[in-house]
Amino acid sequence: MRPVPAAPRRAANWLRPSQQNIVFALFAVLFVIFSIFLRGFLTADNMLTLLQNVAVLGILGLGMAMVVIGRGIDISLVASLAVPPGLVLQMVQNGHSLPFALAAAFALSLAFGLVNGWLIAYAEVPSLFATLATGLFLAGLGQVALFKLDVVQWSPGMNALTVIGQGNIAGIPVSVIMFGLAAAVVTLFLRVTRLGTYLYAIGDNPNAARITGIPTRPVIVLQYVLAALIGAFAGLVMAASVNSMPTRIYNSTLIYDVILVVVLGGIGLSGGRGGVVNVIIGTLLIGTMLNAMTIMDVSYSGQNLIKGLVLLVAILTDSFLNPRNEETAQQGDI
Amino acid sequence: MSGPILELRQATKKYAGVAAIEEVDFALNQAEIHALVGENGAGKSTLTKVMAGVVTLTSGQMFIAGREVAPRTPLEARHLGIAMVFQENSLVPTMTVAQNLFLGQEKFYNRQRGIYIAAQQFLQSLNFDVVPTALVGMLGAAKKQMVEIARAVLHNAKIIIFDEPTATLTPEEKKYFFDLVFELKRRGVSVIFISHALEEALQISDRITVLRDGRHVVTDDTRNFDRARIVQAMVGRDLSQTLYGSRKQTARRSGRRVLSVQNLRMGPMVKNTSLSIFAGQITGVFGLVGAGRTETFKVVAGVLKRDMFHGGEVLLHGRRARYRVPAPAIRDGIAYVTEDRKVEGFFETMSIARNIYLGWLARLGRRRMLVSRRETETIGEAWIKTLGVRAIGKDVKVVELSGGNQQKVVIAKSLVQEPDLIIFDEPTRGVDVGAIAEIHQLINRLAEEGKAVVVISSYLPEIMALSDRVLVARQGKIVEEFSALEATEEKIMYAAIH
Repeated sequence: MRPVPAAPRRAANWLRPSQQNIVFALFAVLFVIFSIFLRGFLTADNMLTLLQNVAVLGILGLGMAMVVIGRGIDISLVASLAVPPGLVLQMVQNGHSLPFALAAAFALSLAFGLVNGWLIAYAEVPSLFATLATGLFLAGLGQVALFKLDVVQWSPGMNALTVIGQGNIAGIPVSVIMFGLAAAVVTLFLRVTRLGTYLYAIGDNPNAARITGIPTRPVIVLQYVLAALIGAFAGLVMAASVNSMPTRIYNSTLIYDVILVVVLGGIGLSGGRGGVVNVIIGTLLIGTMLNAMTIMDVSYSGQNLIKGLVLLVAILTDSFLNPRNEETAQQGDI
Repeated sequence: MSGPILELRQATKKYAGVAAIEEVDFALNQAEIHALVGENGAGKSTLTKVMAGVVTLTSGQMFIAGREVAPRTPLEARHLGIAMVFQENSLVPTMTVAQNLFLGQEKFYNRQRGIYIAAQQFLQSLNFDVVPTALVGMLGAAKKQMVEIARAVLHNAKIIIFDEPTATLTPEEKKYFFDLVFELKRRGVSVIFISHALEEALQISDRITVLRDGRHVVTDDTRNFDRARIVQAMVGRDLSQTLYGSRKQTARRSGRRVLSVQNLRMGPMVKNTSLSIFAGQITGVFGLVGAGRTETFKVVAGVLKRDMFHGGEVLLHGRRARYRVPAPAIRDGIAYVTEDRKVEGFFETMSIARNIYLGWLARLGRRRMLVSRRETETIGEAWIKTLGVRAIGKDVKVVELSGGNQQKVVIAKSLVQEPDLIIFDEPTRGVDVGAIAEIHQLINRLAEEGKAVVVISSYLPEIMALSDRVLVARQGKIVEEFSALEATEEKIMYAAIH
């Protein structure tokens, strides 16, 4: 005759020590400190640079967030960012029309997402290993077969696409607006559509989702397809803003920054938790940190050291706040 | 012989306030083979886990050779000379027999040749026919058990506890196992073994203890027992004292045949089983652990993950229905309410309403692209009211509810899908007393409404209180069918044990 346990009294939502709120407070504190003590931080110019620099990271973060909410991880995201957009640039350079090049890149992204999804949902390869392998494959394929040079240059035929990476609308850099746009689309997908709800259900408890009658495997495939497409979109924005596609970006530490954004923002690696707001908060914090470190002239290695530390702290906090299997230990196994 | 080597006095173990064993007295003599029998949930495993230091007593005392002890870990129990051989093997499959034997006792310089020679000599001294260099993963069930036993003896165990040792063995292997047990006895080791197989208990044990509902019923010399007396002791409870109310006086008539399973075979658990389920009545399915009840119905509902389907037919409304995933089964009106709600029942980060809404959404499938918050709340509130889910605030997450309320949420999530065939697997496991009656009322109401209801339970009083018709499963088959009026606990139990 156990009584119904009393629900813990809830403090107002914004006061609760969720990771999201901790990170946002941390961002605010850092921002104020840098503004006061770091010369050249709080200038209009620098703010624009900051936003522009993190826009691509933010878009990638959205793709990663969807996968992580569905209890997976997509290490191949940077390959998705580099190769299909690189293909667009290369094909246009070679004289194909832009729509045709875009269609080819779209098909490549789609196929890539489907392969990832099939490996993870149907062949049941752990997402970490599946995407590690496919990412390597795609990046290698690009370098071996698709691109002539490591950096694919922007050609005049691409000019119709310049608008998504360069210039301002009402004083806001276009790349930031693209991030906003992607964030809006992903928000709608996650909150309003049936499939978005399924994604949360699968991340929360894949077995229960299956038994409830949710087609778990197709939804998992979908999440990797969406991630690949978002990655390609981020790549196009990046190529448009720097006027080229440095395909060697695959070998950089960008993927760690993306994971950093997602985990730091409070999207639990155990799945089913968090949303677009978390990506934005994570992006802001990382953007501020990276920008300040650049102004302070911290070396590349020093930056890695700091990022590594922050990621460790974030993952620790995550497993502390969102322990996996908190209740799966069977009670009274008689 | 002096006093007992192991003794428990007034042993009580509670899990979250519910007693798994209560005031049990138990004594084990030197060089004795002691069988422990009882239904599922009678407390056999808990009792032995207490001895092996896996769980600690809530109250009561434990003595070894007259000295009071309280092992808190299996390691402490091992130092006291108690070893337990679990149902699930605790050996490392990728290591050799010898490595497993000496696991945890390796010297700093762990010379392979040395341990192989030592293992060889040791196994020979026990007369065990196992090659010490063989990988444990490659051994059969019986040999694995030998290695486990050898390890226990190597650790100087004076008391060895076996949990269902013969469940996975073939008849020849069983015979060999019994020889091993006698050999242990000759060496002065005391053996406790848990078994569902009464013949085995009668055949090899010196004494038998029967447990029921966490309490000690009787301990006596084996020669004073026969099958009937054991069964009587296992089930002979006073029904008015159970939580489940009295047994049924009337049985509902069978309606239309909804489901028919013919010669279904699946993996090692389902062996050529056939059964029918009818509308408008409750079919109780009883069986002990390993009888394949859950697996059979998981095949029907498309839940079983790995496709080890070997043949047979499932007919739903006379049409062939072989589901590989649950989604199409749900669309055709089959709901499976899981026995393990924490692992595959509910979504713990979501509110009650959202859990139920997900069931609705999954049923609608493609017909609904967008979700609506208002609809979530309406559906959630309606079902919370219908099933009497008690929660403080509707935004409470499901993990924060009591077991009974969690179960109601899981049931609501299935009922919102408007099934005609509802399979309840252990519907009141881990459910608080008040909620049991409510869930039983609900199950009865569903049958009155003309749905075909299946209740799988390993608790006889629950079967007796609910079923209009009882199917008994044993070793992967439905072996017996009773109407509610002719069924008695003794008859059912008799059919269920081998």
